[in-house]
Amino acid sequence: MTPATLLTDIRDYPWTGLLAELLPAKLAARLPAQFQATNAPIVPSESIAGRALIVVIAIMSFLACLTAGAVYMINQSANAWVNDITSEITVELDPVNTADIDKKMTLVALFLAKQKGVTKVKPQTAEESAELLEPWLGHSEALSALPIPRLIAVEIDRSNPPDMKVIKDALTQNFEGVTLDDHGRWQAEIRTLTRSAALGGLAILGLVAAATIAVIVSATRSAMASNREIIEVLHFVGASERFISHEFERHFLGLGVRAGLVGAVAAALVFLLMPVVSPLLGGGIVTAAETRRLVGSGELDLAGYFVCLLVVVVVAFLCMITSRLGVIRVLKNYD
Amino acid sequence: MIRFDNVGLRYGTGPEILRDVTFHVLPGSFHFLTGPSGAGKTSLLRLIFMSLRPSRGLNFVFGHNVAELGPGARAELRRRIGIVFQDFRLLDHLTTWENVALPLRVMGKKESDYAEDVTDLLRWVGLGERINAYPEILSGGEKQRAAIARAVIGRPELLLADEPTGNVDPVIGNRLLRLFVELNRLGTSVIIATHDYGLMEQLDAPRLVIQDGQLRIS
Repeated sequence: MTPATLLTDIRDYPWTGLLAELLPAKLAARLPAQFQATNAPIVPSESIAGRALIVVIAIMSFLACLTAGAVYMINQSANAWVNDITSEITVELDPVNTADIDKKMTLVALFLAKQKGVTKVKPQTAEESAELLEPWLGHSEALSALPIPRLIAVEIDRSNPPDMKVIKDALTQNFEGVTLDDHGRWQAEIRTLTRSAALGGLAILGLVAAATIAVIVSATRSAMASNREIIEVLHFVGASERFISHEFERHFLGLGVRAGLVGAVAAALVFLLMPVVSPLLGGGIVTAAETRRLVGSGELDLAGYFVCLLVVVVVAFLCMITSRLGVIRVLKNYD
Repeated sequence: MIRFDNVGLRYGTGPEILRDVTFHVLPGSFHFLTGPSGAGKTSLLRLIFMSLRPSRGLNFVFGHNVAELGPGARAELRRRIGIVFQDFRLLDHLTTWENVALPLRVMGKKESDYAEDVTDLLRWVGLGERINAYPEILSGGEKQRAAIARAVIGRPELLLADEPTGNVDPVIGNRLLRLFVELNRLGTSVIIATHDYGLMEQLDAPRLVIQDGQLRIS
């Protein structure tokens, strides 16, 4: 196909009749006259093969939208994780050989607050530091007797970050037993983990997309086989390949959009209801909180729903192209 | 209008079913095409209609060498030909009226421009009461007449009919022959493939006879 024929195809396409094909028959009947088909459709709107195709496309679109949405959500959560840890550093104070650790905490916090690029300094109390060890040591009064390092959480401005090396050197020079952890190692590990998760998700999405394409192409071809006689009759009454292709493309595009939307809306409902339903099905508030930490809130944002809409577009396009190839295949026997 | 020079046809690697077929069809002529069953009458009609390609030889349709035409040009030429099949080839989901109007719709004409013509023609072939009927409830003869009406509605320059009176009684058969003759008088060339000697004897028209893969004119 040359660009010129493509342009002619687009110009001559029966756009006004497309809306009637996209809507179910009852709604299409309510459209204004200019959007109504004046003649009976050459490709029958209802057939057993057509209904089976709608069910198959709706199911595959549902699965593809679920996968695409889930991968998108995990990717967003992973990005949020990395963003969170890159906007924070931790300063650790060794209590050993320090007479007044609280005074030292105050001095270091004041020093840090003066640094350029630091937005917030939050010294942790001794109790807060001890709480961090509770998962390993349990709740015990003995913890207060231990020389637990004290921590200061420092939030930094990611758009204008401080020079870590300068702060690190200054801390070492001015305070004994004070170290700075810029979470570099942790960040690298998280990045590797999130990238692996994103790649794994993309691989699954690729597999689902391949399966969706294979199933839709195969089902559309089956539906086209039942329309072979129509293609032949149109050919014998002198219809050009373009005319026949347009009739089938319009029909299968409408069918693909309708079925794809059913699948996408069902998937969207799953995403909408997930935050409400998951605590009821799962292990209560703690599990829900852990899940939220791992994959985010379980809700898709607008861009996520746009990804689902994109799936519908791809599905409808696949149906349209497969029908066109089906027409060309049948007409090859006659030309 | 139609010229075949030493045309041969074989399906796949099978034997040649048409050999050295040479004939001319002039504008405004009327021909019967006859021969025993399986002689290749339908294949010859399909060659003329350009829905088959000859294995060898040259065929010209409306002065164009078919071998040199692209799919679009062949579709254009096909619109100038009306064709009636033995098995009618009506679309079951369209009414009789919609089936007959199909060639005009394919040409891109407006329904308001041809609605009356379609209805008049259906009345003329005796299907005035079956305008809104679907093919599945039509009898064999009614389907035959609907198929003929569909072939002639576009006033083709050439009409090809494969056993057009095979499923109708003699009265309707004569009426259909009158339709073909009337079309011929208006300038349409007609080729009717038939076994019906009674039909052929009603009209003094040249006969293209296919026997043993070869064509002779009598």
